[in-house]
Amino acid sequence: MSAITIEKLFLRYGEQEVLRGIDLEIPENVCFAIMGPSGCGKSSLLKVLNRLVEMNHNVKISGDVKLFGNSIFKMDLTKLRRQVGMVFQIPNPFPHMSIYDNITYAVKCNGIAKKKEELDKIVEWALKKAALFDEVKDRLKMRANQLSGGQMQRLCIARALALKPRVMLMDEPTANLDPISADKIEDLITELKNEYTIVMVTHSPGQAARVSDFVAFLYMGRVIEVGKTEEVFENPKNELTERYVTGRIG
Amino acid sequence: MDKFKIFLFPFVSAVFGVLILMLAVFVLNSVSIFQREGLAIYTTNVWIASENPEEEYYGILAATYGTLYTSLIALIIVLPIAIGFSVFIVDFVPEKFKEAFIIPTDIMAGMPTILFGIWGVFYLVPAISGFADFMYKNFSFIPLFSYYNPTGFSYLAAGMLLSIMVLPFASSLIREAYRAVPEVYREAALSLGLTRFEVARILLGYIKPSILASTLLAFGRAVGETVAVSLVIGNAFNINPSLFAPGYTISSLLANQFGNAFVYEYMPSALFSAGLALFAIGLVVNVAGLIVLRRWTHV
Amino acid sequence: MYRRLKDDLFVLFAFASALLAILPIFHILFSVFYNGIPVLAKYGVEFLSGTLPPPNKAGGGVFPAIYGSLTMIVLSLMLGIPLGVFAGVFIAEYPSSSISKAARTVLVIILEFPTILVGLFVMAVMVIPMGRFSAIAGAFALTIVMLPYVATYTEQAIRSVPQHYKEVGFALGLNRFRIVFSITLRIAKKVFITGLLIGMAKVSGETAPLIFTAGNVWRSTGALNEPAGAIPLWIYYLVQQPYSNYHEIAWGAAVVLLAIFLVIFLSARLMVRS
Repeated sequence: MSAITIEKLFLRYGEQEVLRGIDLEIPENVCFAIMGPSGCGKSSLLKVLNRLVEMNHNVKISGDVKLFGNSIFKMDLTKLRRQVGMVFQIPNPFPHMSIYDNITYAVKCNGIAKKKEELDKIVEWALKKAALFDEVKDRLKMRANQLSGGQMQRLCIARALALKPRVMLMDEPTANLDPISADKIEDLITELKNEYTIVMVTHSPGQAARVSDFVAFLYMGRVIEVGKTEEVFENPKNELTERYVTGRIG
Repeated sequence: MDKFKIFLFPFVSAVFGVLILMLAVFVLNSVSIFQREGLAIYTTNVWIASENPEEEYYGILAATYGTLYTSLIALIIVLPIAIGFSVFIVDFVPEKFKEAFIIPTDIMAGMPTILFGIWGVFYLVPAISGFADFMYKNFSFIPLFSYYNPTGFSYLAAGMLLSIMVLPFASSLIREAYRAVPEVYREAALSLGLTRFEVARILLGYIKPSILASTLLAFGRAVGETVAVSLVIGNAFNINPSLFAPGYTISSLLANQFGNAFVYEYMPSALFSAGLALFAIGLVVNVAGLIVLRRWTHV
Repeated sequence: MYRRLKDDLFVLFAFASALLAILPIFHILFSVFYNGIPVLAKYGVEFLSGTLPPPNKAGGGVFPAIYGSLTMIVLSLMLGIPLGVFAGVFIAEYPSSSISKAARTVLVIILEFPTILVGLFVMAVMVIPMGRFSAIAGAFALTIVMLPYVATYTEQAIRSVPQHYKEVGFALGLNRFRIVFSITLRIAKKVFITGLLIGMAKVSGETAPLIFTAGNVWRSTGALNEPAGAIPLWIYYLVQQPYSNYHEIAWGAAVVLLAIFLVIFLSARLMVRS
């Protein structure tokens, strides 16, 4: 079964049509990249998947999205978002909270664990998964805004992983990082895709080529081309895709 | 220095002049009561006005107590309402209708304070009078309700009126801070499967310094409010834990007593020293509030 | 579920807070109109032109209060505008000077200051030396109250104008005075006038600074160096009287005061809007 099935998805903000009929199948435990020039609707598409896009008051959505066979629009929002974690373009750990509290707050709220020992264990596990544990293990009570940008982003990944999601959404997770930190995040993604379905938005074809198994090219709210990453990059069927992956548009 | 700067300089100096002169006037006029009584002017609750200066003795503790007590009542009422109201406007009211809720509070914030006073005398005080009677008859064993005063002119009346007066101010500061929380944190909180309450708790934690600052500044306003309070507090030299007891605040003491102060030798000085205390409380609270606010916005 | 319940209670709390915040506002506005308008209707034009009647006698009006308020407001504007504007210009034109930084802080402190203290201060420096209360002393106290509003808004107005307009002025060989007063403040006149209106709204409703400066009178000679009445002062004293016709007049005066405030407030609001 596919992790995510998107069927005839349309989305508009007021008068402005952003997604114009998207159909996609995202298999389980792969890294699926959505690439395209800025303004093509890729971030909006990603935010449909955990229904974060509905924060915007005048947004209208039609079509359906299924998560492991169930329509997300019929799911309880908190349950959906527990299963679908998200990492954002700007690293956004809660700056006034400690590293430890950043991870445990939602764990406690969602009733996953309450006791100190359990929470300690989850924090350690999540930080290890996010390859951050060794750097911060002695200062878990430190405020999260003292970390470097790359560390913050890995903390955000740990925060999302702690809820044991099945899908991770990543919205240009390296866009605001230095090259070395970006490298680390890319390594981490290749690591995580064995256990999680990762849907990543990127505006860099290079990044899509490096880390993803499947890729969809989005342009003006439509999927122009989709397939295995090597195939799309080596033999693009559409001229627009070719021009994009070779850096001539975008 | 260019000519323009030299021309403008006297005007900007006037700003400093006002503050320094004010401080000087209050200090100089307080000297004679300090020489006579020392700090007892602040630590005792007596008010003996006499034509014979030998017998005069003043202590403003009751007024200081009343100022702090009424301001505290106001804050206890205001803080939760201001927070809830801010969350309501930012999280629950659609963009188009936000203004409709903000304008009335803006009107309220600038409205002549005497209008709160006249409303307080004719509506709030009578309402409290019935409540005070009921609470005294049934709950007088609790110190808060232990004073029999069916008139309604009381600390509670002053505190409630103050809460209505400072609410628009406190809520606008908290609302603007809450509204200015970067969207990325709200998105992060939502993406973690949190409920509206749990999200708001995180975001309110984020603006804690602003909440602290607005608490201090609201306290500063409550402390300085004069006419509305003096109309409803009952004006009595009283130090009583009961909400229903009449009392004084420093500013209502000034408004009430200065009119006839010059008949007496030491009363003007006693009142100027009360003004000095108000000056000090106001300065400390407001400066503390501004420091918190500034440090916060520079993060 | 416990978690749902907490969330529902939270929403309830937010709505209840909104209700508690808004309700008193409407009750106060409503009660002023409800009690005041019938008084205006009953007393007719005499309410604006007459003087205070004896206790429990019908008729009369609040002319001396209106007259006093108007003269003191006009006087305080005449003093406060130049003072506040020039101080604000200094702060805006020399923003990095340490004088400006300190002045900005002092202005905020004065703005938040208990206004009764301003009244006592003016009493000490003007009323006691002159030997009596006067409209001038009242106006002077109001000037101090207004000063931070005018200065702060002037500063904001100037700073809202992009630098290149100023550069054009310099290129045309104008001096700084000309640039500020005929270019910058003209461009930013909305913010500037809004500031003046807000300062005016503030002083037109002030009571505390007038108690020991203007002193209040029920019949005035109109001379500026003699005690003066003011609408808020009248309300303050009339409310404390035991006579029901005085309470009526207080409500009538409250409606007049509210109307004056609303007119100024709404013009400031429209200014910002357009």
